[in-house]
Amino acid sequence: MNNRDLNILQQFNILYLEDDVNLLKHTKDVLEDFVNNIYAVKTSNEAMDALLNKKVDVIISDILLEDENGIDFLKHIKQKDINIPTILTTAHTDTKYLLDAIKLKVENYIIKPINIKELLNSLHDVLLPIVQQKEIQKNSNVIRTISAITDSKQVDIVKFIINNLDNQNLFTASYSDIMEEVSISKPTLIKLFKELAEKNILVKVQHKTYRFNEAALKNI
Amino acid sequence: MVIKKLKKIISYFDNLSFKYKTSFLVFIIAGGMICIVLLSQISTFTIKQDFDVLFDKRTKSLIKLENIKDTYNVNIQDTIKDLENEELTISQAQDVLLLAQQLINKNWNSYKKELENKDDRFYIISFIKKFFTSDENYFENKVLKQNIMKNIDKKMFKIKYYLSYMIQNKIDYDYANLNLEINAISIYITSLINYDLSLAINEKRNTQKIFNIIMILSIISIILVFLFSIVLSVYIINNFKILHNSLEQKVEEKTKELTELNAYLEIKISKEVAQNRKKDIIMFQQARLASLGEMLNNIAHQWRQPLGSITMIVQSFQTKMLHGKLTDKFVDEKVQDALLLANNMSQTLDDFKNFFSPNKQKSTFEIKDCLDHSIELSKYSLEKQNIKIKLEIKQNVKLNTFYNELSHVFLNIISNSKDALCNISNKDDRIIKIIVNKYKHSAVVNLIDNGGGINEEIVSKIFEPYYTTKYKSAGTGIGLYMSKQIIEKHMNGSISYKNIVHKIKPDSNENFKCSLFTIKIPITNNKEAANE
Repeated sequence: MNNRDLNILQQFNILYLEDDVNLLKHTKDVLEDFVNNIYAVKTSNEAMDALLNKKVDVIISDILLEDENGIDFLKHIKQKDINIPTILTTAHTDTKYLLDAIKLKVENYIIKPINIKELLNSLHDVLLPIVQQKEIQKNSNVIRTISAITDSKQVDIVKFIINNLDNQNLFTASYSDIMEEVSISKPTLIKLFKELAEKNILVKVQHKTYRFNEAALKNI
Repeated sequence: MVIKKLKKIISYFDNLSFKYKTSFLVFIIAGGMICIVLLSQISTFTIKQDFDVLFDKRTKSLIKLENIKDTYNVNIQDTIKDLENEELTISQAQDVLLLAQQLINKNWNSYKKELENKDDRFYIISFIKKFFTSDENYFENKVLKQNIMKNIDKKMFKIKYYLSYMIQNKIDYDYANLNLEINAISIYITSLINYDLSLAINEKRNTQKIFNIIMILSIISIILVFLFSIVLSVYIINNFKILHNSLEQKVEEKTKELTELNAYLEIKISKEVAQNRKKDIIMFQQARLASLGEMLNNIAHQWRQPLGSITMIVQSFQTKMLHGKLTDKFVDEKVQDALLLANNMSQTLDDFKNFFSPNKQKSTFEIKDCLDHSIELSKYSLEKQNIKIKLEIKQNVKLNTFYNELSHVFLNIISNSKDALCNISNKDDRIIKIIVNKYKHSAVVNLIDNGGGINEEIVSKIFEPYYTTKYKSAGTGIGLYMSKQIIEKHMNGSISYKNIVHKIKPDSNENFKCSLFTIKIPITNNKEAANE
């Protein structure tokens, strides 16, 4: 069960649309342990209500609802420019709805009876990019904050080196090449390279060619 | 030789067809009749002619001759005698003699005249006379007659001369001589009369002869016709007998053939009936299989939901355990739910099992229950197509009949309505309405849907086996046929169809084209059937 870090789900709100009251109740009972909030609704009207008034990250919807259709509901909200990732559940294995689902860019299509692992994994997959996005945002914020309080020139050089790495993590440039890109004095540059070489982060392979050693970073 | 020829003719005649024989008979009878009529007519005419001629020619001329003779004897001789005796004067005698002579002349001339134009008015009769009397010599002797007449002329002239001489000279003439002459002339006239008489007798004899011949001929022809008629009649009767016999034989043969054919047909019919029964059984099975498939679909769906819930419950134990939230209360609650769901599933199975059980026992039940059950069984497919179903019980009826079969019929018709309603574009107006009522001694169930009805051209065919308007995959074409069989044969009821216009929506005045199936099941009959 724990191939994926399901803890990331804890921060999200889920809208669950299902017309079978029993299934709705039991699935809600399971899912509420994993997520922040679950809005379990029976009709598309209630779902619309929740969408407008609550923060919803993922929609799980049955295709066949009483007197209505999950697909129609999704089309409706797409028209209103609400783009929320969606997982469809259905008892139907026929491809009739599959095509519509693909056109609507549905994230996953789960056949009933629902395997809770499959559902959770797929929730994870849907939400992971959002988590990662947040992580990247966080890191870049960290770097920006550091560069604000330390020598910004050295940060620029490090950025330049990392941006110019080739596939084998090799960096090829002369000091003068670097100095053309970044306005830095040569002694500072040599000092920085020496420091990096000492810490085994940037290893000189041959003239003008250096290897960026990722493994060394973990030891810091 | 003659006999042989006769035999030949007879055999030839014998071989003639019935038609020819009859026409031959008719021809002979008609010909004979005509012959007889003709002959009798001819004989009548000849006799009449003879009468006429006898009177006109013979009798009248004889009278005239007698008159002449009398005139000579009485007038002239007497006058001369009176003159001789001088009882009369010369002038008186002269007048009388002149008058007498005029009378004689007139009579004589007319006699001669008649002799000249004695030619026949009836050519045919004279021809016949000539034909029959050709070999007979006439007693007529023209020379003799002319001689006599010449003599009479001569004597008359002489007497005239004597008389005129005597009167002119007023002398006593030789009276004796004159008397002699007059006597002579009267003798001549008498001989002429005799001659004429003999002629008349002769003629009469001829007529008699002709008459006899004609009589004989007509008798012969009558006998011939009679004989021919009898012979022909015998032939025709024989023919009839032969015909009758052959016809009788033919009829017997045909009757035999017919009885054989009948027997063969009976065998064939019984075979066909047996085959038909087999076919029916196969069809029953097919229909059963078809609805079995549909039912399986229903079961699958009805199971899917509780199955999903139960799956979720089972998995919830795992997740709760993972989060350390598996409390007694939670387990109790979930187990309770799961049992309820499992019970439902079991119930569903029972429903369908009952429906398909081969139980053919009659049972007493309320028609409402059967309808409720049928609606419940088809609920899934109806809901899928957004079809609303309304059950209206005006009078509930208890029946004693085959529950499952009746349910089968209802399911069939509901399924048909469903298919019709699927073709309606407006999803909000799909309605099936079922009305139950009691009429006299029958339960009447009206099943109405607003699916547009059935094309009038095919209405008459819908109860025929293997008739379907659907795609091959959708229908077997025996649903309605089976329904009719069940209702009519098993329940002694009736099923009929009608296209109607009906305000099926209670809250709107809109008219819909609807189809109406009416099922009538007798109630009284069920008791009798139960006693069987």
